[in-house]
Amino acid sequence: MRKFFVIVGLFLSMIYPSFSAAKDEVVVYVSEDQVFSEPILRDFEKDTGIKIKAVYDTEETKSTGAMNRLIAEKNNPQADVYWANEPIRAVVLKQKKISSPYISPNAKGIPPLFKDSEGYWTGFSARARVFVVSDGASDKDLEPTSILNYTDEKWKDKSVVANPLFGTTTSWVSALFVAWGDEKATDFLEKMKKNGVKISTSNGESTTLVMNKECIFSLVDSDDATNAIRDEKPVSQIYPDQEEGGLGCLILPNTAVLIKGGPNPENGKKLIDYMISAESERKLAFADCAQIPLHEGVETPPDVKKIEDIKTMEVDYEKVAEKLLEIQKYLKKWAGY
Amino acid sequence: MARKITLWVAILLLLLIGLAPVISMFAKSLFVAGELSLGNYETLFQSEREWILLSNSFLLAGSVTFITLLLGVPLGTLFSKTDLPFKKIFIILFVIPLIIPSYILATAWFYFLGRSGIVAQILGANVGIFTSRFLFGFSGVLFVMVSTLLPIVIILVMTYLRMVNPKLEEAAKLSATWPVVLREISIPIIIPGICLAGLIVFILTLGEIGVPSSLRFDVFPVESFIQFSAFYNFNAATAAAIPLGVITLIILIIERLFLRKKVFQFRVTKDPMIIIPLGEKKPLFFAAVATLAFIIAIIPLCVLLIKSLSISAYHEALTRSIDSIFRSLLYAAIGATCLTVLGFFLGYLLERKAFRFTYAVDSIAILLFALPGTVIGIGLISLWNTRATNMIYASVAIIIFGYIAQYTALGERIMAATFSQIPRSMEEAAQIVGVGWFRRLFGILIPLAKRGIASIWLVGFIFCLRDLGITMMVYPPAHDTLPVRIFTLMANSPEEVIAALCMILILITLLPLSALSLIIKNKRQKI
Repeated sequence: MRKFFVIVGLFLSMIYPSFSAAKDEVVVYVSEDQVFSEPILRDFEKDTGIKIKAVYDTEETKSTGAMNRLIAEKNNPQADVYWANEPIRAVVLKQKKISSPYISPNAKGIPPLFKDSEGYWTGFSARARVFVVSDGASDKDLEPTSILNYTDEKWKDKSVVANPLFGTTTSWVSALFVAWGDEKATDFLEKMKKNGVKISTSNGESTTLVMNKECIFSLVDSDDATNAIRDEKPVSQIYPDQEEGGLGCLILPNTAVLIKGGPNPENGKKLIDYMISAESERKLAFADCAQIPLHEGVETPPDVKKIEDIKTMEVDYEKVAEKLLEIQKYLKKWAGY
Repeated sequence: MARKITLWVAILLLLLIGLAPVISMFAKSLFVAGELSLGNYETLFQSEREWILLSNSFLLAGSVTFITLLLGVPLGTLFSKTDLPFKKIFIILFVIPLIIPSYILATAWFYFLGRSGIVAQILGANVGIFTSRFLFGFSGVLFVMVSTLLPIVIILVMTYLRMVNPKLEEAAKLSATWPVVLREISIPIIIPGICLAGLIVFILTLGEIGVPSSLRFDVFPVESFIQFSAFYNFNAATAAAIPLGVITLIILIIERLFLRKKVFQFRVTKDPMIIIPLGEKKPLFFAAVATLAFIIAIIPLCVLLIKSLSISAYHEALTRSIDSIFRSLLYAAIGATCLTVLGFFLGYLLERKAFRFTYAVDSIAILLFALPGTVIGIGLISLWNTRATNMIYASVAIIIFGYIAQYTALGERIMAATFSQIPRSMEEAAQIVGVGWFRRLFGILIPLAKRGIASIWLVGFIFCLRDLGITMMVYPPAHDTLPVRIFTLMANSPEEVIAALCMILILITLLPLSALSLIIKNKRQKI
């Protein structure tokens, strides 16, 4: 009998902290890779004394596990803040009335393109959609410079792209539909398919395929490419469509979102202030994710371009999110599902 | 009366923890924009593509089941009934691929067989192209899934063979050779166990998405996954998962029809199991088993070892995951204990056919085992995430609920097999002389079912420890387990750290299992 009580006691002591937690805490759901986001959150804990309780996403769920939980928990929110790794999810949360407006004082230096005018989300530390190119190609002729190279005979059966149904590739395709119009974008995708592009499960896998010379190039996120280069893998990174009059490179900032009805809203606001600060952007630029600061004048390492040095694709993320819903059925068919 | 109440409590727990979330999801899937509609189901199978995906899933699940049975039945027989040397080491080796998350196993094979993998580096680029072609597609998925699920067949065949009455084999041995005895007596007797192994392998393969996705073979479960991950449409995702549940129920009915009229006699004596001497053929069997173990277990294990071979990788892996390691062990132990208790009573219910609706309860447990973890996970959230039930939802209890919902079938079926070797007459005799239910339970059933109880606990422990689907959906903030930590760290973490984390996962699974087997061995020696 004594053993029974010991077991019950152990179990209750394990559960107890979960619902009797200290008030000075903040719950954050994170879609940004844990290796990069965790140090920032730990620094916040150290600097403010507010305890962080985090739920991280996995590549296996296409980083949508946290998003699905936020939607499922709408009627009894458990999270205070959502750290999204791109802006489209933040827009979807706004549409589903799961987020709450908050305009942080630290959002002042961030260009209007990268934040919601009503304060439902604020962008910071961006990734760019860049080419990762295999050094094994060695032939300079095989170095792509434009996304149109996906449809070029010269790269037939030599390119790869992550499944456009998920993550940042979805945002990229949707942005093309917004920038080019439906007809041109559909034509591009069909030609791309005819040219034998492989479809991988993720940008990480695309990078691995290029690293291992299974393919010559792939459009991936800049953190995937920079990370591979810093790991001395035989690849290089190219910003596409940088020529005069070119389409430019799609920029996808992280976004900080305050969740409506979260248990610790004030601490949530403090965390958002911290996440989007110029200092956090500097840390994320020097981290292996090599993210591009959106505040002007933030120090960056030599291999991280400053936002003002990149020709960026001018897009309205709200329109991209709307278009995304429209084209998903087509993308499902295109991807072969 | 007490027996009825106990069994009813077990049934109600399964219904409340397992079935209720799924019913809630299913009910919601029947509504579109607040109105009753079959809209979520109408879109299913509208295109030819969905039928192709379903046939791919069938082909894969059927092939994996066939090959694992073809390999697993002889291997299980060799390990349990013969004097094959180094049996215990072989068993551990074959179990390792089940412990490693299948997606990581696929990645390990990619490092080995990919275009610039280890094989290509040793044998040249052309061989790399060939091995890469083998890996990406049906053949690669089949290979990885067989190596992952083979231990399930081996373990179940071993468990059931231990139950065969040795007197039957002794009698048959008087006029036949060992191969004939095995073919005509032992193997036919353990057909329920083989069917169960086949059923589990089929269900797990049918629902698998990680390995087929990474090795580029399109399967049906991706339909439900896309609805969750790309469309955030939970109702359509549930609808897309229903065909998997229907297929499982059909397979279950076939299993029942197949086994219905067969009588299986398991041993009721304490006579030791007969060990077959392999004689001159021992080196041949040893070589064959060693080759298979090398291909299936040692190669991926070595790949992970080579990748993780630095102290700094292990240091970083431990620094990043030490809290998750303890949580994993604790949660898996609690989960396994809950599965054992629930499995004990539901297995008793199934074997003794205590109620008329016994098979309905079994079907519910198997159906839950077949459904994607995401569907059960979202169901658990929608049911338990209320202010009134926050103490459950915001605690580790929700993870344990998830384990119970998904894995009760394993415990139930193993226990049913265990109870089939405990004669009803013992219980009935005790009842006639006025022994109550709880004394019968603690005095007869539990002592006689000790081996089965230990088996469920071990199987439950492995499955809870490696679980990702449900844990990922419901774990409370700061309660992540090691598999979840491995997957959250996988993106952009150094390969050697991930490989080191996988090695740690293998170790923490094997260490408690080894400790338990040592305790059992010591107890036996004392007796």
